[in-house]
Amino acid sequence: MTSITVKSLSFYYKKEDPILTDISLTFDQRTTAIIGQNGAGKTTLVKLLKGLLKPASGEIWINDQDTRVVSVAKLAGYIGLVFQNPNDQIFKSKVIDEVMFGPLNVGQPKEEAITNSMNALLMVGMEDKKDDHPYDLSLSERKLISIASIIAMNTDIVIFDEPTIAQDYAGKETIKRVIHDLQKKGKWVITIIHDMDFVAETFARTIVLANGKILLDGTTREIFLQKDVLVQAGLNLPHVTQLGYLLEKNKTVLTIDEFIKDSKL
Amino acid sequence: MVIKALSLYQDRTSLVHTIDPITKLVFILFSLSFPLILQNIYWSVGILIFCILLLLLGKVFKQTLPILGLSFILLLSILVIQGLYSPKNETLFFSVGFIRFYEEGLLVAVRIILRVTTLLCSVCILVLTTKPSDLIQSLMKKGLPAKIGYVLNSVMQIIPEMRSTMATISDAQRSRGIETEGKLITRIKAFFPLLGPVIMNALVSTRERSMALEVRGFNSTAKKSYLVEPTFSRIGFPLQIVMMVVLAGAIGWRIFQ
Ligand SMILES: Nc1ncnc2c1ncn2[C@@H]1O[C@H](COP(=O)(O)OP(=O)(O)O)[C@@H](O)[C@H]1O
Ligand SMILES: [Mg+2]
Repeated sequence: MTSITVKSLSFYYKKEDPILTDISLTFDQRTTAIIGQNGAGKTTLVKLLKGLLKPASGEIWINDQDTRVVSVAKLAGYIGLVFQNPNDQIFKSKVIDEVMFGPLNVGQPKEEAITNSMNALLMVGMEDKKDDHPYDLSLSERKLISIASIIAMNTDIVIFDEPTIAQDYAGKETIKRVIHDLQKKGKWVITIIHDMDFVAETFARTIVLANGKILLDGTTREIFLQKDVLVQAGLNLPHVTQLGYLLEKNKTVLTIDEFIKDSKL
Repeated sequence: MVIKALSLYQDRTSLVHTIDPITKLVFILFSLSFPLILQNIYWSVGILIFCILLLLLGKVFKQTLPILGLSFILLLSILVIQGLYSPKNETLFFSVGFIRFYEEGLLVAVRIILRVTTLLCSVCILVLTTKPSDLIQSLMKKGLPAKIGYVLNSVMQIIPEMRSTMATISDAQRSRGIETEGKLITRIKAFFPLLGPVIMNALVSTRERSMALEVRGFNSTAKKSYLVEPTFSRIGFPLQIVMMVVLAGAIGWRIFQ
């Protein structure tokens, strides 16, 4: 049974500078976006979920495993994290070896690891790059490779840290599709992201992090209804939503499709 | 990412911190040669006490203790060996059972210990109260080639940088199921897969570094200026003169004695 429970979590790197204070949170099968200003502690929060950092106080349970006691390597079977910077993650000299590294480590038999890895590469459209050296690829391609190498591990939970960085339109569409595909397969997808258009188009639930606390938590539509709170937290609205408010439409539009449908009435 | 610089520098406000690095270098030379010239054990003790006072004044004495403690074990063995076996040994100092300690050997050992401890203390005064970059910059102003200065500076940075790269890559590997916690053998096993990427990363960043340097005119032959000009107390130069004069006096005294 997939589950993520965060209970009164606090965390700091230096005692005098708390990053997260008393956060309680659960996740579910809804695709979830975590947004917040730079330095709000989003990356820190997901590293805590992943067990890479340990709570200063409070606790985090992943699939009934206490992250404070279980090793990161054991947790890796349940929860995958795609790092913000692919260069922090990639270390093999061949793309396919890079992608197969995780699956083999979490105990998939070789055949299964190969199948999962090829499927993952196919999913991000990098299957023809499987024999390349990752350092010969562009940053956006490396990001897609790093995504594939986590998907291939077939974990219940997949976390993306800023997946759309350096991606062009096609790359963003690919990532959007990957997120939906994972959700359809029953995976829980959590994504840190600052591209509000992408948030509006992709995620069912949105969590806003500010000053070490959860400022807002709800369906994405509810969140973008709170225009003033968001602006105060240093965030902006999706472009089409802004346009909607400017044209004084009396509801929150989240996507271009919605906007067009609404205009035709 | 916060990178902890590889240095023993302790950021405090004290009189000792305001003295420039060159004066501290001169002081190391002074504290070593002065007792050597005078050949008088009381002066050696005096200089050592003076060093310790400076360390206390610089609020860094506590940081000196582990360094002294480590060398103490070594120095203790000198005391034992010299006391027992020095060829000069004649006068029995004391004996424990059939183990006999002689005065001459012990005296030699005490001299060595005093010298080493003084050296350690005066080097600590420099290292603990001076930013490495300030030291290197001072040396460059005294004629150290900029390239060597750069190498020294970057060694200070590259090692901690590699350490943080290692932590990052280790995180990436743990994240994908490599066990790094627990038994010693597990940790050792986890260390080897780290080496490849860390070296690869270092090579890549070396290339980027050299391009960045080139773009900023590192090889230019024009006279270089400094972005940050640390300000030091003006008392440094007079202190250097005083130390020189005292040394010269000591030499004179020895010659005409
Ligand atoms: N390893 C670290 N050591 C000390 N401080 C850190 C470290 N990593 C991040 N921080 C600090 O913690 C805060 C939150 O960082 P982060 O979680 O990366 O924010 P976000 O991902 O929301 O931009 C920032 O102020 C950052 O400077
Ligand atoms: Mg971040």
